[in-house]
Amino acid sequence: MIFVEFLIKRILQGLVIVAITSFVIFTLLRVIPGDPVRLIVGGMAPDNVVEEVAAKMGLRDPILVQYGRYMGNLVTGDMGQSYLRPKSGMIATGGEYVDPTKSDMAEVWDLILERVPLTLQLAATALVFALLVSLPIGIAGGLRSEGWPARIAFGIQSLFVSIPNFWLAIILILFLSVKWHLIPALGYKGFAYVILPAIVLAVEISPFIIRTLTTSLAEVMQSYFIDEAKVRGLPRRRIVFGHALRNASVPLINLLGIQLSTLIGGVLVVEYIFDYPGLGHLTVVSVVGRDFPVIQGIAITISAVFVFINILVDLVAYMIDPRVEL
Amino acid sequence: MSDVAQITPTAPVAAENEGQSTVTMRILKTAWRSKAFQFGFWIFVILVVTSLILPLVSPVSATKMAIREKFLPPLFMGEGWSWIHPLGTDQLGRDMLMRCMVGLRYSLMIGIITVVLMFIVGCGLGLLAGFKGKWWDTIIMRITDAQLSLPMIILAITILGISKPSVASIIVVLGLSGWPLYARVARSAAVTEREKEYVRGLRVVGAGDWRILLLYAAPNILPPIAFVAVLDIARMMIFESILGFLGLGIQPPTPSFGSIIADARKYLINAWWIATSPGVFLAVALTAINLMGASLEKARNTVYAGAR
Repeated sequence: MIFVEFLIKRILQGLVIVAITSFVIFTLLRVIPGDPVRLIVGGMAPDNVVEEVAAKMGLRDPILVQYGRYMGNLVTGDMGQSYLRPKSGMIATGGEYVDPTKSDMAEVWDLILERVPLTLQLAATALVFALLVSLPIGIAGGLRSEGWPARIAFGIQSLFVSIPNFWLAIILILFLSVKWHLIPALGYKGFAYVILPAIVLAVEISPFIIRTLTTSLAEVMQSYFIDEAKVRGLPRRRIVFGHALRNASVPLINLLGIQLSTLIGGVLVVEYIFDYPGLGHLTVVSVVGRDFPVIQGIAITISAVFVFINILVDLVAYMIDPRVEL
Repeated sequence: MSDVAQITPTAPVAAENEGQSTVTMRILKTAWRSKAFQFGFWIFVILVVTSLILPLVSPVSATKMAIREKFLPPLFMGEGWSWIHPLGTDQLGRDMLMRCMVGLRYSLMIGIITVVLMFIVGCGLGLLAGFKGKWWDTIIMRITDAQLSLPMIILAITILGISKPSVASIIVVLGLSGWPLYARVARSAAVTEREKEYVRGLRVVGAGDWRILLLYAAPNILPPIAFVAVLDIARMMIFESILGFLGLGIQPPTPSFGSIIADARKYLINAWWIATSPGVFLAVALTAINLMGASLEKARNTVYAGAR
């Protein structure tokens, strides 16, 4: 029963968060100078045409009216249509007149759905890479918190956290892709194109994993039940992998919830650099083009994912260690 | 972000007012004893001093173009290098060393100012919420929750992408992303502090809330949080360079690491040094700061564990 209560409470809270996020983004887009209509009709168009199109698109109504209309549509599953992208998939180039009120513009929802699997694939690969590197380092550092493994963990952590992701991306592209032709980069034509961006993301995530794992494992190794397991004569391997790691993994899972915004930020930048056609790439391009409906749709999707993963994190932490409060 | 979240906000037993300065000193001394801290510290000092002085005394300019001297390689790295441009020149013949120095200045300045602001605003509101309780607490903490659950990067890109970025707006956007964590930590520390003997004593003597908070409680609560804030300077510097890379940071012709690297992508194959050197400078500066920050954090944890 606690379970159901928890789920209902968190989902309701989540809906409020998503509503707030969407309202903040919605308002910001309209308050901050920069008129999308100007971009749509082109710089040469006379002012009265701009106003006409803007009125037709409903952009001159009070913000609350616009927001109400938007949320009304959203409830029915309609996120609106892109200002810039026609259904065919080609982006309208500057100055070329495309009437955004017509129905041949791409549905925001379709644009997002198309890209979600690619972004998930990238994030999952990066997470696997990060764990492959940081689990051995973190475990070694946590088990010998005074010796050289801990110092190595400390050094790697300080170094990795100091490498700017976009710079690392460029250097990797230059050497591995352009000079030595080892791994393809830029664009997406199959799984090989995930590897480089995933490495960059993994370097960004792993310091946090190493750090949390070393601290929490070192702490767990000090606790009574580990001493007791030693007294019981359990082999060290079993103590570490069967008992200590399980307990040390709760902070690790919580970390995922805390670091999620960093991860999303990283995905965004990395996708943009590698021209990887995921959600992050779509975000940057849409902001530059002031494609309001797409930006709003992405913000709502991401905050919903945010909420969902945080609920999931709490549930998993609870399953590993039922003492954790829900 | 976990850097701040992982603070254990309980003040050490020894840290009652007059004992505080010694605890702070002890933490600094413990940190100073580690090689990692010294290493980071000296690199940091060297970088700061050269970035402040070199552009003042050198006749070479960071923004002056000299088309005839474009794409000069760094020392010993190919044809046409010269001692005047030890790190080579960029596509417009501007000196890379000077551009890196000025970029480093801006990066450090924005990082430090942002963290100071985040610290003041976040800790101020957190102390207020924790110390005053009641509706202060409710309102401030609800705002904090809301802020923490917004994906900040999207907000930042939206704000800076649609308006014209300036140093001030960059600092505000970066600061927005960080203050709530400070508010949370400061609040929970204030809640524990409020119940302590000396605070009650001060109340009995007749000291008001504000007086206790500013003169007695804050000096106890803030130093431990400040030690960890050092790590955030590095985080903010990275964030700033990312914004610059996306074209949302300090605008050209003022050099900033992010925008230099973004421009240099076009010349990557023939002039690799333009993209490389700013990244190396940034990474070295960040490593120095991170080494100091992580050592301070470690030292604080050791000292506090000893005090318990």
